[in-house]
Parts: sequence; structure tokens; C-alpha cells
Amino acid sequence: MNTRIFRTEVRDELLGIVREPTALFFSVLMPVAFFALFATMFGDEGDGFGVGSLATYGAFGVLAVVLVNPGVGLADARERGWLRVKRADGTPLGVTLSAKVTAALPYAIVTLAGITLVARLTSGPLDVLQVLRVSGVLVLGALPFSLFSLAVGARFSPSAAISVLNAMLIPSVILSGLWFPLEMLPTWLGEVAVYLPPYHLAQLALAQVEGGAVWGHVAYLVATTIVGAIAAALAYRSAEV
Amino acid sequence: MEHVLEVRGLVHRYGDLTALAGVDLTVKAGECVALLGPNGAGKTTLVRNVIGLIEGNSDLIEVAGGNPRSAETRRRLGVVQQAVGFPRSLTVGEIVGGAAARRGCPPEAAKQAIAEMGLTGLEKRRAAKLSGGQQQRLQLAMGLVADPVLLVLDEPTEGLDVEARRRFWNTIRRRLDNGAGVLITTHLVDEAAAVADRVVVVDRGRVVAEGTPDELRRTLPDRRIEVRTKVPVSVIRALDSVHSVELRDGRTVIAATDSEQVVSTLLDLDPEANDLTVATASLEEVLVALTNHEEVAA
Repeated sequence: MNTRIFRTEVRDELLGIVREPTALFFSVLMPVAFFALFATMFGDEGDGFGVGSLATYGAFGVLAVVLVNPGVGLADARERGWLRVKRADGTPLGVTLSAKVTAALPYAIVTLAGITLVARLTSGPLDVLQVLRVSGVLVLGALPFSLFSLAVGARFSPSAAISVLNAMLIPSVILSGLWFPLEMLPTWLGEVAVYLPPYHLAQLALAQVEGGAVWGHVAYLVATTIVGAIAAALAYRSAEV
Repeated sequence: MEHVLEVRGLVHRYGDLTALAGVDLTVKAGECVALLGPNGAGKTTLVRNVIGLIEGNSDLIEVAGGNPRSAETRRRLGVVQQAVGFPRSLTVGEIVGGAAARRGCPPEAAKQAIAEMGLTGLEKRRAAKLSGGQQQRLQLAMGLVADPVLLVLDEPTEGLDVEARRRFWNTIRRRLDNGAGVLITTHLVDEAAAVADRVVVVDRGRVVAEGTPDELRRTLPDRRIEVRTKVPVSVIRALDSVHSVELRDGRTVIAATDSEQVVSTLLDLDPEANDLTVATASLEEVLVALTNHEEVAA
């Protein structure tokens, strides 16, 4: 029963993407354009913009999609009264929320594909296995962030949700070293990174290329998932619909 | 007859504001109950409790023997809510099909509900592009898809034209004949009076009156007499059982308990009195009297 409802919910969400592609355009284009800009400006320095950069800019690209889209979609459905219809229909809470998260994943994959293409064009051939491992880590590791997105979407209007989520996204990706290397930031700002979930997502992805410890990052993301799930469930249950 | 809805002692508070102060309400299978009252009376809060969107404190609240907070019970309801905006991207067919899927019904049930609400041919149209009346019918089609045991309809005829309203009430009558219960709120009091088996009047969070439309009309003892007569107002006012007299557009309008006696006396005093009408109180007048408000709305 719930599987059929889930399929229907995901289908509805995906149809929304296909038929209203404006959001897809901005969500995908902005991170890819950013990556292309930085690759063009700094591609000749250091190790260039290969798979390693895919880990950090890819983390930004995935977060830009997964942290923003589900929450804004939920806020929109709530404001329209459509969420009220779903609740009255007996659609389970978990199904509604997980469908929104699942529907964000194709955006994330398309974003990663765009960044990979730019990396290939600017840096030459890439190790396909590494690209797949980095992409897999980024897509799966981004899921906890979508839970925070849903928590915001359950509490704010669509326009306020966009502002709040971008206010969460932009500082955290900068302070996590996803745009610029942490060494370019003041020391005290760089030290903040280890407390931020995006930093651990990027480091986990980077470990697929450069090696290094992973379990500390995994534990941090698991803890983030638990906190995010609680926040989303509490926010949704108390949301005015 | 079996109850499809039973509410006892429902209290709902929003902070310091008591929206419902101990409401009892029942709907039997095959019965249509109209919930009437002024704005802010607590009707929407009551409806939202019944369909499980919110939860107050109650001794009992059962829909078809189940708790409305459970998803299983909610799938046995057909609901039309106020102020619902459909997703921009979905078509009529996808929306009703989705409602069928959420209730575990086959796709054919969606087609039947679409046909029943006169939306055949619009299946591929985006719901957000439908007219207000068509969107209202779409919501009802979603509600009908699972052959519900109880239809909860909050202002269901809002935005419907005459033909659509006729079709709507025919659909409701068919569902009643098939044993579904109906709980309806509407500001169209005459429509409610024509269709409802029972009317429940809510005011300030309490049920202030309950009965068939005729029973409620009889609770207001006054009859309204309108007549063209030369008898002075002061003389009429002095008659037994007369409560009020006023002149309106050249006619004398009298509110009286014993209309037969008043008319007889008037004709004795003025044999040429003409243009005489005597009317019982309308349901709307009853509601105004019961709720002591000028404006009556659902």
C-alpha cells in the first residue's frame, strides 16, 4: 500500500520538475557555472580542477539542490493547502517527506554530471571509478541535508524558506571550504569548518580520491541525519496546514 | 441506524481561545447533517477534528468506528476542504488517479469519479488551469474515489454555477441513498434546508440548536404578517401576541405569535385591508435569532 503511495508521490514530484523546469535550470546551472568560472580562473594552478575539485564543488552543487528544493516544495504545497489534502487523504508522513527527498536526487545527479563534464573539459581524462565513488558519496551523503530542508519548509512560507535555506547554504559551504580552500580563509574561520556537516561531506568525498580516514566523517553525517530526521518530523507534525 | 460519525464532548483550544467547548455531534449512515453557524463559530475547527487534521480533547471521536487520526480511517472519508490550490504541474487525471492510489483503489475508480463529477474530457488538463467551479468538482471527485462511508464537505458548492450545483446535489443524494453519511457546512442556508435531514447550529464553540429544518423553524414562534391597511401602527401594537410592528414600503410588517387572531382582528378593523401575506420564519431568521448575529454564514 505505502509502496504504491510512495511511487505516486515520487511520480508527482518528478512531473513537477519535468513540467516546471525553471527551478531545474537555476538549481543545476548555478553550481555548474560556478565550477566552470573557478576552473577557468584557477585551473592552471596547483593540481588543476580534476576529480578532487569534483568532490568539493560537487558537494556544493548537490547541497544547493538537496538543501533548497525539498523545503521550498514542501512550503509551497503547505501554502496551497495541498499538504492538507494529503493529510486528509491519509498519506503517511514518512511517505510525503521521503518522496520529496527522492525527487531531489535527479537534480543532484544532473548537477554532478554537469560539473564532471566541465572537469573533463578543463582537466582532461578523469578516473571513471573515482568519479562514480565521489558521486555516490555525495548523493547519499547529501540526504541528511534534505531533512533540514524539510524542517524549514514545514515552518516557513515559500519565499521565506528560500531565504532561510540560502542563508544556511551559502555561509556553510564557504566556511566548509567548498568554494575556496580553507587556507585562504582567516585561521579562526577555518577552524569552524570541522563543526559543519558540509565539510565532512566534502572530506568524505575527497577521501575517495586521496584516501584517508572516513569513519569520523561518516559518524558525523549519521549524527546529522538523526538530528535532521527529528527536526523534520517535529516541524512537520506541528506545521500549520 | 449505524453511526458513521460520533463526537462526544469535543473541546479544542488555540492557546487561550476556546474554539470548541464540549461539542456532541453524530451522523448516521444515509443521513445528511448540515453544520451552520456564524463566522468564527467553530465549524472549521470541528470539521478539521473530524477529518483528523487536528486533535482536541474529547470523550469520543469515531469515524466509521475508527480514530480519524489513523491513516486507515482517513482513507474511508471523502473530504472537500476550503481554499485548496492544486499543484501547477499535475493534470485532472493524475490528481484523481493519485487520490485513488493513496486510498488503495484501482485506476478505474478514478475514471468513475471523474465521470460522476462531469469532468470527463478534462483528464489531461492541468488542474491549476481549471475554473473555480471545476476545481471544486475535482476536489469532490477526489473525495468520491474510494466510495467513502462519510463525506465531509466544507463549503462544497462555493463557486459552482446552477448546473454544477444541481449535479453536485444529485451526486450527494445518490451517495446518501447508497448509505454514505454526509456532514456539510454551507452559507447557502436554503440549500442546506432542502437537502439536510438534520441541522446542527454551532455558535461560540457550542451546539446551540439541533433538529430537522422544520423543527428549527418552529422554535421561532413568530409569524411574519405583511399587509396594506389603514389601521394605525399604535392600534396594531396594542393587540395580543404582537411583538413588533413597522411600516416598510407602504406595507405594515407585523411579528406575532398568534397570526390567525391578529389577521382576523385586522380584517374586522379594516375590511379593505389587502395584499396580505403570512409567512413562517425562514431558517436564516432562526439562525440569526439563535446566534444573535446580523450575518449568518457557514
